[in-house]
Amino acid sequence: MSYTLQVSDLNVQFYTRRGIYKALNGVDLSLKQGEIFGVAGESGCGKTTLGLTIMGLLPKNAAVTQGEVLLAGNRDLTACLRNAAPSEGEKFNIKQSEEAIKKLNRESCDIRGTKISMVFQDPMTSLNPVLQIGFQIAETIIAHQPRPLAERKIARTKVTHDDLGQIIKLLKEGADEQAINKYAESKNLHGIEDQVLSVWRRNDLGETKKEKIILSLHSEKLGSFEKLVLERVGSGKNIGGWMRIPGINRAAKNVLLKEGYIKATELLSMLEVPNPDKVVRMYPHELSGGMRQRIVIAIALANNPELVILDEPTSALDVTVQAQILELTRHLKHRFNTSFIFISHDLSVLSEVCDRIGIMYAGRIVEIAPIDAVFSRPLHPYTRMLTKAIPTIDGNEIQGIGGTVPDMRNVPIGCSFNPRCPDATEKCRSAKPSMVEVEEGHFVACFPKGD
Amino acid sequence: MRLWVYIIRRLLLLIPTLIGLTFIVFILSHVSGTNVILSEYISPKLTGAARQILVQQLTNQFHLNQPIYIQYFYWLWQILQGNWGVTNTPIFSGQVNTAIALFLPNTLMISIVASILIWVIGVPLGVYSAVNRDSPADHSLRIGSFTLYAMPIYLIGIVLILLVGVYLKILPFSGVVNPVSVSSASWYVNGISYPTHIILIDAIIHGAWGIASDAFLHLILPSVTLALAIVASMIRILRSSMLEVLDQDYIRLARSKGISERSVINLHARKNALLPVITLFGYTVAGLLGGAVVVETIFNYPGIGYWTTQALLVSDIGGIMSAALLFGLILMFANLIVDIVYALVDPRIRY
Amino acid sequence: MSEAELKTRKWENTRLSLSVFFANKAAVIGLIIVMAYVVDALLVQFAPQAIGIHSPGTLVENFYNTVPSPPSLAHPFGTTYPGVDLFTSMVKAVRIDLFYSVLVVAIGAAVGSIVGVVSANVGGLMDEIVMRITDVFFSIPYLILALAVGFILGRSLLNMSIALAIVWWPLYARYTRSQTLSTKEFTFVEAAKASGVSRLKIMYKHILPNALPPVFIQISLDLGSIMVIFSTLAFIGFIENASIPELGYLSSLGLNYIQTAPWTVIFPGVAITLFALAVNLVGDGLRDVMDPRRRS
Repeated sequence: MSYTLQVSDLNVQFYTRRGIYKALNGVDLSLKQGEIFGVAGESGCGKTTLGLTIMGLLPKNAAVTQGEVLLAGNRDLTACLRNAAPSEGEKFNIKQSEEAIKKLNRESCDIRGTKISMVFQDPMTSLNPVLQIGFQIAETIIAHQPRPLAERKIARTKVTHDDLGQIIKLLKEGADEQAINKYAESKNLHGIEDQVLSVWRRNDLGETKKEKIILSLHSEKLGSFEKLVLERVGSGKNIGGWMRIPGINRAAKNVLLKEGYIKATELLSMLEVPNPDKVVRMYPHELSGGMRQRIVIAIALANNPELVILDEPTSALDVTVQAQILELTRHLKHRFNTSFIFISHDLSVLSEVCDRIGIMYAGRIVEIAPIDAVFSRPLHPYTRMLTKAIPTIDGNEIQGIGGTVPDMRNVPIGCSFNPRCPDATEKCRSAKPSMVEVEEGHFVACFPKGD
Repeated sequence: MRLWVYIIRRLLLLIPTLIGLTFIVFILSHVSGTNVILSEYISPKLTGAARQILVQQLTNQFHLNQPIYIQYFYWLWQILQGNWGVTNTPIFSGQVNTAIALFLPNTLMISIVASILIWVIGVPLGVYSAVNRDSPADHSLRIGSFTLYAMPIYLIGIVLILLVGVYLKILPFSGVVNPVSVSSASWYVNGISYPTHIILIDAIIHGAWGIASDAFLHLILPSVTLALAIVASMIRILRSSMLEVLDQDYIRLARSKGISERSVINLHARKNALLPVITLFGYTVAGLLGGAVVVETIFNYPGIGYWTTQALLVSDIGGIMSAALLFGLILMFANLIVDIVYALVDPRIRY
Repeated sequence: MSEAELKTRKWENTRLSLSVFFANKAAVIGLIIVMAYVVDALLVQFAPQAIGIHSPGTLVENFYNTVPSPPSLAHPFGTTYPGVDLFTSMVKAVRIDLFYSVLVVAIGAAVGSIVGVVSANVGGLMDEIVMRITDVFFSIPYLILALAVGFILGRSLLNMSIALAIVWWPLYARYTRSQTLSTKEFTFVEAAKASGVSRLKIMYKHILPNALPPVFIQISLDLGSIMVIFSTLAFIGFIENASIPELGYLSSLGLNYIQTAPWTVIFPGVAITLFALAVNLVGDGLRDVMDPRRRS
């Protein structure tokens, strides 16, 4: 079984003037390809830190003291940070940490935005207020996959009306993506299938309208400069050489940017943003929170990443928008087989989309189970209390959990839940339980329950 | 399209502000009574019947026997026609228009050069300082700008004069141009050069390279002094603004997109960080004007500031009023430009 | 929380604040320097004879030897035109400069803060009007106002201070207003209102303690800026008679002798720079203490 992501014994600490906060205390997690894995827990349990550590976006006063994060089996995402962390007894050196972060940023450019990406919690502050929406989306496409962009445009110049008609015929006959690709390849029209398919898949247009749009995708004219840039990029090279001169560089980038805007429009329509062609020219402050979150999702998905981390994507939005976004997540998983890590404090939200859930408490994952098992057979006392605390439609009495989340500067000895746990034993207070597989795919870290 | 609406609205707002400014200047100058107007045109030595006749003449000419608000309109009409009155200062006596034509170009010249220096030096240094926080370069920049900020502008000027002008002897530090060299220029008459009134530009237009380079050399120290006085606060503000921006969520998102760090800094961060700096540019211009006064005094650079100081020291009403009006106008237009530039950069305020 | 617990909490907070401040070595040095200036001013004001100064309010001129002379044993900083001992003059001048700077900042801060807090609390049309007024004053450059005041009231240090205070108060009004507005949003104010506490009391007990600390930082920074501006104006000539000890004026005395006697201009200027530097360092240290982010 190939895992998209493997987290082993991850320990992350934050160094502040008020003390050292141990945010993650040994997190273990294996993510399968194409699954939606939920991470649940109260505020302060470390879920966001987990997401940030995987992406390598920790602030400079954080250190990975132990553990590793492996992407696709072989790429250790935390090596840099780990090397910079202070060893036992050493004082935290913030400069070293800064250097490590800079190094990590440089090295991560080839996976961020293209293999892994993240959607953050607050859509109101996630987008740059002075840049157009289209630019913010197109930027990530151009940075990682400029070649398909060039190919798209070139294909539009080469394709004929008849070719397009033929493709439409194939689509009506029910041909799938692969068949269309083959057809395009055979006619040396690589790049046209992407555009045709995105129009075809739109839900807001009737079939005749869609046909019309597809049939208009031909005989595009190119200026000679445009031709030069596109051919160069289309053959896989970067914009370089004489095109690096400041003014010309800007013009060359704009050629790509124009096509990027068109692709951005397609992405937005896939995410069911109304009037996408207008939206790409707007600025973030002109849009609502739900729209902004969709744009952030569009940015995260633009390059078809293998893993998307969603950090409380719906917490700042109202319920109707929340439902739409959850629907979207399900749809994307089916379409692209992307793996998702869905972080939320709301178990009911997670129950809608996830395949498996991991419950986090005080920096550790205390239970991992398939979605139905979490609600029907919760094992860990904390999980049980969480499920009982959800308001349900049949009006069962809600039970809160006594006590408060521990101060992460002084994590309780033994099992971190023991002060609040009704089933705590002597062993719980002295030793830390490790994850035990109690039934197929259902793990729990609890002495009374795990044995 | 929104941008044009904003600009037009802003321009329209200019009119009441103009009226307000002229009104305030007018009222202030008349606070001590209408005798001041008379004293502008009448030499104190004139007495007796001749004085009475002149007083009568002036009273009629300037409608001084009318109520104050009527006088305002007559005065405003004069102003709009370009007749700003008369000034009597040690360095120049005559029509204010001539004085302005004589002095303003010089001040403009050093102000513009100083502004260019401020932006060209200030922005890269401010950004660099924030991005490479706590590096040795950042520390020295901070100490340097801290010290500059604490220095009164005349001290900066004096230090420059001593270092560069006196000890190293590489730059001149007095006047606009060597008077000997321009004495034979046909386009330089009575201290005013034609057609643009700016010696440097006119010299280039007329191909007089010797004069041009001389004027340029004279320009350097005053402009650098002005620039140094102001760039210090700009670097500090830009640095803290940049640091604040770098902490923002959208920068984190930009990094998560995997774009190069250079793009993150120059494209995403810098534009946002410049916003408060642009707002403050209005105050920069105020600082330039204030600084020009001092700089021109130290470097014997005959500009508006020098003339204003002299007017103040001898209580020359014509000069003071006109200077106040002129400064006010310059500042208003500077603020207008600042507002427009800000609207260009920040799309959020175009409503 | 009990009384005792509150007290220990406050003490712990104060200790944290002090440790943060004193960790900043630059701020400590700044504080020492500022203290030195204050001591100087106080000494000259209350016990001038003790340090050998006989006429604290005027410069002692020696018209027989008007040419500036370089530093020597008799005159540690040299002399300036017209025969004034630079060192004693500077010692006297510090008192004047410090006094007027404090005056300007005190007036500006007091008037501005009150206007700002009240305006933000009253809100509505009143608030709008006050804001427009501050806008007008804000856009007046201090130079023009100094010109106007100098012309109408005559050129004197006091009038200059008035002019500067007039230009400065809008800054505080704006600052305290925005602080008040954001503090008002805090729920504990809502809670107090909900429990029926009178508006005035809210303003006094809840809003003021939260809005004021940043103002103190601004005040400390402004002290330096004002002294620089003040002395620059005096340098240009904003002084009522030729014998007032003032650092900027002292510098201007030596203008004609720049090439032969640079110390005449530089030393008073350095005195100003040193004070502004020191006060800025202290302000930075205060900012470290008050800004919750920098505390960790």
